[in-house]
Amino acid sequence: MKYRYILFLVIIGLLYSCKPELDEFSPSQGSADFSTYVALGNSLTAGYADGALYLSGQENSYPNILAKQFQKAGGGSFSLPLMPNEDGIGISITPQGMALTTKLILGFKTDCLDKTSLAPIQLVENPDQLELFGQLTAPVAGPVNNFGVYGAKSVHLLAPGYGDPAGLVTPIPTANPYYVRFASSAISTILGDAISTLPTFFTLWIGNNDVLGYALSGGIGDTITTPFWFGAYMKTIIETLNATGAKGAVANIPSVTSIPFFNTIPYNALELKVQAQVDALNGAYAPYNQLMELNGLPYRINFNLGYNPMVIFDNGMPLPPEYAQYKFRQITTNEIILLSTPQDSIKCAGWGSQVPIGDQYILTESEILEINNAINGYNETIKGLATQYNLALVDANSALITLQGGIVSDGITLTSTYITGNAFSLDGVHLTPIGNAYIANLFVAAINSKYSAKLPTVSLTNYQSVILP
Amino acid sequence: MRKIALLTVFLVFASSFLFAGGYQVRLQGQKQTGIGLIGTPFAFGASSIFYNPGSLSFMKENYSFSAGVSGIFSNAIYGAKGSDYIAETSNPTGTPFYFYGAGKIIDDLTVGVGVFTPFGSSTKWDDMWNGRYLVQEISLSAIFIQPTVSYKINEKFGLGAGLDIVMGNVDLSKAIASPVNGQFNMQGKSTALGFNVGAYIKPTDKLNIGIDYRSKVNMKVTGGEAKFTEIPSSLTTYFPSSANFDAELPLPANLDFGLSYQVSEKFLLAAELNIIFWSAYDSLIIDFEVNNEKLVDSRSPREYRNSFIPRLGAEYKFNDKLIARAGVYYDATPTNEDYFSPETISLNQFAFTLGLSYMPIKGLSIDLSYLQLEGLEADKTYTPDNFGGTYKSRAFIPGIGLSYNF
Repeated sequence: MKYRYILFLVIIGLLYSCKPELDEFSPSQGSADFSTYVALGNSLTAGYADGALYLSGQENSYPNILAKQFQKAGGGSFSLPLMPNEDGIGISITPQGMALTTKLILGFKTDCLDKTSLAPIQLVENPDQLELFGQLTAPVAGPVNNFGVYGAKSVHLLAPGYGDPAGLVTPIPTANPYYVRFASSAISTILGDAISTLPTFFTLWIGNNDVLGYALSGGIGDTITTPFWFGAYMKTIIETLNATGAKGAVANIPSVTSIPFFNTIPYNALELKVQAQVDALNGAYAPYNQLMELNGLPYRINFNLGYNPMVIFDNGMPLPPEYAQYKFRQITTNEIILLSTPQDSIKCAGWGSQVPIGDQYILTESEILEINNAINGYNETIKGLATQYNLALVDANSALITLQGGIVSDGITLTSTYITGNAFSLDGVHLTPIGNAYIANLFVAAINSKYSAKLPTVSLTNYQSVILP
Repeated sequence: MRKIALLTVFLVFASSFLFAGGYQVRLQGQKQTGIGLIGTPFAFGASSIFYNPGSLSFMKENYSFSAGVSGIFSNAIYGAKGSDYIAETSNPTGTPFYFYGAGKIIDDLTVGVGVFTPFGSSTKWDDMWNGRYLVQEISLSAIFIQPTVSYKINEKFGLGAGLDIVMGNVDLSKAIASPVNGQFNMQGKSTALGFNVGAYIKPTDKLNIGIDYRSKVNMKVTGGEAKFTEIPSSLTTYFPSSANFDAELPLPANLDFGLSYQVSEKFLLAAELNIIFWSAYDSLIIDFEVNNEKLVDSRSPREYRNSFIPRLGAEYKFNDKLIARAGVYYDATPTNEDYFSPETISLNQFAFTLGLSYMPIKGLSIDLSYLQLEGLEADKTYTPDNFGGTYKSRAFIPGIGLSYNF
């Protein structure tokens, strides 16, 4: 009798010790070799976010996320040129000139109407410029694997002296403080420094700034790199990398209109609620409409109750020189008002209604066309070179277009909506850690497919987005 | 709106029962558990109150009492698709129990009452696991109190019916994703009614047939308490620390057909088919009594399908003091391919059971049972949250019971 009971209990005990198990996922490198990985690119690669480069932003950069996945498949250590703190340093270009800033955080801001709401604010107001400059240009010791440099265009990867501290103070600066930090010498190039690490694998995502400088300034500052020159620079970069025997992945350039900086303020943000206001505005613009009619031009400014297209300056209007002061019109549905437009000026100074919004805050249809043509040209080049050199191609452009419709992963919704969309940081251009994880997964998928590797994807749940107070 | 609330309760229920498809737990008698959880074609005494009130009046003695408890040791594992990420549950031990008492008023009329727990579930994942925006922890429990009457029409046919008074509890916690970031917990109670009717037929001395129908019970939570915690201060006006909700969770109806055959004096074979009307669980709706711009009612699709469980069992009587039992069954998941939530890890399951009854003195039986469930590995996704991967589960359920007839 007792035997049976004991046997019974023993069986139960044995069975209880066995928890369910799944086949292990065993990562592998396939035909790639991740032992020395370098990342080349611009601010997106560097981990710039919230308008600044700061410590945790760098740690959450997509190359660093990717490197951790590589390490599961034979990858080696991955060093970042880390900033000294979480405050960060950014460059802000304002009508008053260039200034160094700390990162943006979400805080409470009182507007000109005395209404307080959540808005991006500087972590430190009016920081000491010399102190930030000193911090930014202090040399970084130790090896570097992430060669992403804020502001870099394709040509800058090849530019000797781009990391020369002397080039920061020339009348027209020829150096970039974000590269000065970790450049190996005064004459080194970003590409040369990357190659000196003897990489076995590289990622390359460059070209965004070749149009972004133009786009962020409303088409009045900076110029677009022509697709011809972009192609020439890219060919040199990829050929040089390929000559080392390293394998790699190259990402294409997303359309600027897929990022919040360009799609947050609607063209018709001007809301009129009172008929008297509508009448007053229409009366004020009556002479303008007459003038346009006399000159046989199609421009008319007209307001109605509800949402109205903003009034903007447009230097491209074909008006005779004597009417140059009339180069303004209502914006069309296909045109863009930039996130940099001062909100208080719209709310309290009549911008967009009584006062046309300045050209530096607007992308007109022709400017958008120029930008899109350039990006299309770049992306053809990138695709061609990826095929020619047998590299994994990351279609960041399609991925960010997909984001406009929204994607969901592990219960997190990702969209290109400013602040609440989880993907973009407070500057409206650069990614949040969640956004970087999304990009890292694009690289993982492309690399797995190209090199028959088996890299694990990352879960977006391990990363943060904009932090609300 | 009320319906939304009910669904929430369901959600809670849904998560708890790893071992019986959805959140049902049939461990309401150790003798039945040992023989593959087959109950309808037997007249084991008071435990027929749950399995088949129609056979209650066939109990041999004038009084019958039965009580027991099981321990559910269950674990599930989740592996993310295309990733090395793995998570395991650390579920608390579930303890379904039962107590039945019955007595004959006159020879052919028996009355009784049962207290038992045929539905329930508890699933606990790590607070920081990758599915935390779907569920972190859930526990569902329902206690049934069932006064029952059974009438033996003749030596070959009995009928019985019971009224179920059901008290349910639900407690669910999950994390709230960015950009909000925070914690959500909801707790609710519910009381509802249902019924259980059964018929018992003995066409010959050796063959017994049982049919039982247990109705759906709609567990409605009205005015449950929802708590939002760790919410950024700029959002606390939208997500209050305490809010009321309504929800509803259906405990599905069951239709069971069973038969047993006395092959020899010592050997008995039995088979049963259960139809579980899980399609009642369509979605889980949480209806907040006060909504705002950001706090909106939620509807989470579940779209369960009706499921069938075939069971086989056997009993061997060594002597007047010792009976051994064994059984097997296959329980196909009622869950929908696209709406598989980690709150109820209900996979296709294969189960085997063992049982032993020892009768030291006349009328007294000590009943032991053992049930093991293997949730078969499968790839599942909850599409609204795009949360998918490979799941597998296992449960060990030892049980002990006593019954006394006099």
